[in-house]
Amino acid sequence: MSANVQSVSTPRSGENSWWYLVKIVTGVLLVVLLGIHLVVNHFIGQHGLLTYADIVAYYQNPIIPIMEICFLAVVVIHALTGLRGILLDLKPSRPILQVMDAVMVIVGVVAVAYGTWLILVIKSRG
Amino acid sequence: MIWRLKVDTQHNRPSPSKFWNWFNPVGRQTSGWAFMLQRVTALGLTFYLFLHLIILGQLANGPQGYDSFIALVSSPVFIASELIVVAGAILHGLNGIRIILTTFGVSVTRQKQLFYALMVLALIIIVIFGIHMFTA
Repeated sequence: MSANVQSVSTPRSGENSWWYLVKIVTGVLLVVLLGIHLVVNHFIGQHGLLTYADIVAYYQNPIIPIMEICFLAVVVIHALTGLRGILLDLKPSRPILQVMDAVMVIVGVVAVAYGTWLILVIKSRG
Repeated sequence: MIWRLKVDTQHNRPSPSKFWNWFNPVGRQTSGWAFMLQRVTALGLTFYLFLHLIILGQLANGPQGYDSFIALVSSPVFIASELIVVAGAILHGLNGIRIILTTFGVSVTRQKQLFYALMVLALIIIVIFGIHMFTA
């Protein structure tokens, strides 16, 4: 059994198990949300939403901006918690880890704020 | 068998010197390939995510900016690059399902079979996307 026990993914040292759970929950959500994103952007109509007018029209359905903002937040959180897990494998010292955490929080907040602004701009063009 | 677990845990201890090993394909078993696949796609997709968000800022410039951008990226080279991103996302997502299942104790003793089955499924989905993206 030891071989199996070793090969199961577990939280890294320095990774609070809640962050590991966040990575898993957002991962499951992304299978659905990214699945929708890929199908919409490649299979709607002929080759998905390819023109500015198509995208503005798509965002007029009120559920779409809500779904896209959720998708944005989930994908950014998953990407940054995943990146943090990878960076922990480089064994950063505590001060460096604190700087990395601060940078990742800022990047995440800016990315979600910017993306939400862009979504609302597109919706308002309809 | 406890001692084996102990030895291997030490062997797998994180270290900055192992950075290039993440990308080294030599001497890997299935689990090593699955690890490398997840790590390479993770880094690639994270880079693409932020690039994607920045480029989509073109939408704020109205139809002229965005539609001329789409015309630029409609060449076969860009479509092939896009397919690599789509493939990366599908591989990462399906391999991620295996990681989540085994985390909760599901299919732990059969994860090699699960990995192969999910990769076959990923390949089928990638081929469907590829055919669709390259044909009218």
